Amino acid sequence: MTQDHALSAADASGRLLMAGLPPGPLLALAIILPLAGLVPLLLLGPRAGERAAIALAGLGLLLAILIALQVGWSGTPALYHLGGWRPPLGIMLRADGISAGMLVTSAAVFFGISLFAATGRDRTNTFPPTFWMLALCVASGLNLAFLAEDLFTLYVALELLTFAAVPLVCLDGKAAQLKAALTYLLFALLGSLLYLLGAVLIYASTGTLDIGLAAQRLVANAPATGIALALMSVGLAAKAALFPLYLWLPPAHAGAPPAASALLSSLVIKAPIFLLLRIWIGLAPAPLAEQAAPVLAVLGTGAILFCGMRALAQSRLKLLIAYSTAAQIGYVFLMLPLVTYSGPLSMPESLAWTGGFLHLAAHAFSKAAMFIAAGVIAEALGHDRISSLGGAAQAVPISVAAFAIGGLSLMGLPPSGGFIAKVMLLTAAIQQGVAWIAVVVLLGGLLARGYVLRVVVSALQRPETDASFVTIPLRRQSMALVLALVAIVLGFIPLQPMDFLLVGRP
Amino acid sequence: MTGSETLLGQIWGSIVGPPDSVTASVLLVASVAVPLLVAVAFVSDGLRRHASWLLLLAPMPALLAAIVLREGTALVVLSPPFRLSLAVDTAGGLLLGGAAILWLAAGRFAVAFLRADPTCDRFLVWWLFTMAGSFAVFLVADLASFYLAYALVSFSAFGLVVHDDSPEARRAGSLYLSLTVLGEAFLIAAFVMLAAGIDEANPLIREAVAALPTSPWRSAILPLLLLGFTLKMGLFPLHIWMPLAHSVAPAPGSAALSGIVVKAGVIGLIRFIPEGFPMPGWGAALTAFGMITAFYGVAIGLTQRHPKRALAYSTVSQMGVVGVVLGAGLETGSGVALLLAAFYAMNHMLLKGSMFLAVGLASAGGQTDRRIGVLLMAMLGLGLAGLPLTGGAFTKYAIKVAPTSDLAVFLLSLSAAGTTALMLHVVMLLLGGDAKVGKNKGLVGPCAVLSLVAMALPTVLFPSVTGGRLSAALSVDALLGAAWPIAVGTALALLVFRLRNRIPEVPAGDLFVLASRLAPTVSRLSGMAADVDRALGRWQVAGITVLGLAIALSTVMLVQVR
Repeated sequence: MTQDHALSAADASGRLLMAGLPPGPLLALAIILPLAGLVPLLLLGPRAGERAAIALAGLGLLLAILIALQVGWSGTPALYHLGGWRPPLGIMLRADGISAGMLVTSAAVFFGISLFAATGRDRTNTFPPTFWMLALCVASGLNLAFLAEDLFTLYVALELLTFAAVPLVCLDGKAAQLKAALTYLLFALLGSLLYLLGAVLIYASTGTLDIGLAAQRLVANAPATGIALALMSVGLAAKAALFPLYLWLPPAHAGAPPAASALLSSLVIKAPIFLLLRIWIGLAPAPLAEQAAPVLAVLGTGAILFCGMRALAQSRLKLLIAYSTAAQIGYVFLMLPLVTYSGPLSMPESLAWTGGFLHLAAHAFSKAAMFIAAGVIAEALGHDRISSLGGAAQAVPISVAAFAIGGLSLMGLPPSGGFIAKVMLLTAAIQQGVAWIAVVVLLGGLLARGYVLRVVVSALQRPETDASFVTIPLRRQSMALVLALVAIVLGFIPLQPMDFLLVGRP
Repeated sequence: MTGSETLLGQIWGSIVGPPDSVTASVLLVASVAVPLLVAVAFVSDGLRRHASWLLLLAPMPALLAAIVLREGTALVVLSPPFRLSLAVDTAGGLLLGGAAILWLAAGRFAVAFLRADPTCDRFLVWWLFTMAGSFAVFLVADLASFYLAYALVSFSAFGLVVHDDSPEARRAGSLYLSLTVLGEAFLIAAFVMLAAGIDEANPLIREAVAALPTSPWRSAILPLLLLGFTLKMGLFPLHIWMPLAHSVAPAPGSAALSGIVVKAGVIGLIRFIPEGFPMPGWGAALTAFGMITAFYGVAIGLTQRHPKRALAYSTVSQMGVVGVVLGAGLETGSGVALLLAAFYAMNHMLLKGSMFLAVGLASAGGQTDRRIGVLLMAMLGLGLAGLPLTGGAFTKYAIKVAPTSDLAVFLLSLSAAGTTALMLHVVMLLLGGDAKVGKNKGLVGPCAVLSLVAMALPTVLFPSVTGGRLSAALSVDALLGAAWPIAVGTALALLVFRLRNRIPEVPAGDLFVLASRLAPTVSRLSGMAADVDRALGRWQVAGITVLGLAIALSTVMLVQVR
């Protein structure tokens, strides 16, 4: 994929700078760096460990940006062969446009959540070192999932994420949390099992686990191929909480402390979603992908409409946000029938592609902002019943603003990343004459507006007479606003395909 | 202030020539930016103490822009692919100027009216955002910015509706918000389809509309546009939110809502009706719904016992009249009709804004204020009905050019009779209301000045907007044509007054009350969804789902392979 940039002086000097910096090792570093944070956490005690973890989160963001710049400037994917061994023997890391985009998104959101977590578990307690260890493992697992190129390494990434995420759900050890964590674990195990089964079938029929090589060797009309892809997809769908396999998500995401909820809901589920997309975009033979795309889009539709309806009916704020995660997942699958799987993308197709991935990014920022804001609101009010949020706008104005601004993106209102993403999907659907997808996007927007505005309206009302509020320091309120504002900034991306996201598309 | 605007503009023009492009650009940007900046300034306690001055400052750039900028002044604030463009045309300029004057006077009024209200600052922040949105919606020239401006004015106005936080205000606010959201969905669908046919991702509205007649999605775009914009204008049967929302806001809020916010729908139709491409079917439909609304609003309004609700129904009726004119524009593709619609809408903007202030004056001011309020209300009301020699009469005379059939012209005149009756009904309600004495000072000035401007400005603008002479509107025929509806309306008002105890009050939000009977069905649906949710949570069901999905996916692919 060639890129046409305006070659400014800054651009040129940047290239010179990067020329001395081979991109490959950076990819490996992105995976190892978060794990390095475990050392100070174990050896230097909680305070120093926490600072090291936050510093590493910041470094991780810089690293991700460097990789993305490299990918953008060169217009080709960055590759790294571990130990110098090439596939099929060796393991390869690869950052194309979409992986680099996910890398930057997740590193930025992770940094934001870390800064919030640094203000404490709640007003009085700090997070235990366990939280930071788990969080760093999540960061490493995410980067591995975005960069790995072979099915087994990806399996390892998924497992790493699961084993880091499940304890995050039950960090406080309450009974309800343990129950939710157990359900999550069982589902994740089932998902892993199915994924592994599929991967084994692929290995059996192609003799390789490398996605690129396997894609060349897979035979479209062998029954094993279809079964393998179906098994992997269902496994990943269970991990991603794609409708109708979402049932573990609301209790798990809503029960955790706010920082953990934000990690789980905005980042952890993005890994299986990304892999699910990768399987159909990079691995499946084109004719099969074209067959499966509408099925996945129908599941996405179910997610958007059904989980949206359920979100509307919730009486607890955190549950509402969790259901909205289950709903918003659906949008990215609406992209699948709107792109082609063989050859370059046409204009409307690349618009759908851009919209789909932009939606993932915008959702990550806005959902992290909303979960954090909701946590702070619940802290200030002492409860999270939506019907009696009155007075929240006076007690924690910044948090309510963060929730509302993050909500703009969910509702698909301008200016926000969610608006641009949804308009792109809508435009692509209309240009390609797929009316039902356009209708789903619109209906989903209506539902999202319903559930977000319900909360905002309630928070703007006057407090009940006997209400008392806890004061929350400004520092604790403001991180959510920053994350929400990033989702707004994404709304200034021009309404046209982004060449960057097309880099290295198979 | 009476009528000095255009004069001022002429003087300005003769002394310094037309404003240079830098001044023009600064004015255009400042029109929208200054209200936003003032809203941000309200964060500071120190600046907030100067609220009344800040509220005077906020609409100034827009007022200046409306006076001195020539038609066709355009500015690209951000170039493509980002694209944010502002432009002034005659229709937009009329509404921009009218809105600026109303914001100015109503802002003065609001500060005095809400002096004792501890949450006044909150109201003023919403006020400023609504103001910025309203100026933007009259000025923006590209599709995406229009959607943004439209959303800004619509959603900010919610804060004005619910300010009192009473149960009625909450109910009205929720309904307003739901329908606003629905309207936005109609519009985004239409806008995306409009833009989808053009290479440019965010085209100018002008370009997009020019491509509308040849668009393959034309038959979907037009109804969506009509639904979205008439919802905002409150055309039957989408008017249900309007009487509720407009009557629960504090008086200056009602003035802004009924005067300005509804005009976002009007400017929408003016901008998106393609000039030079007659669409008779759709035009006739819009005309018909406008006509029904014009009479329906009067009929329900006459049963109301609360002056603000009656005034809100009058807005419904008046937007029906605007709908008739716009329908004629759609039917014939005539740009003249669109301009006349803007002219009439501006007239209504100032008159209805003043009326809500006058009602506020009568209810919150002292004994003298009360008398002045009733007197102003009577004058303004008759102006709206088109009493000869008032500004309203000239606008009413002007719009009679638009409709294509004599029947429509006759019905328009008849609707003026309805307006007369409704306005006199409001005056009677004010006179009959309990004569409690308020304490607020400083209400009379802004209300009186605005009323005078409202009554005079259309007269001053008539020649330049319509290209006709004032004397034409003063011919015996024209005077008689304007006078008989007043006479008929007065008789009707007397009749209603006689029967006032026998006419039951139709609950405000009429059809909404009927629609809320659907609530049980909705809750049943929601209950079913909850059941499904619970079922999906069972392990057996989950297992079967996983298996079923895997089988379904593989089958789909295997079928393809065979």
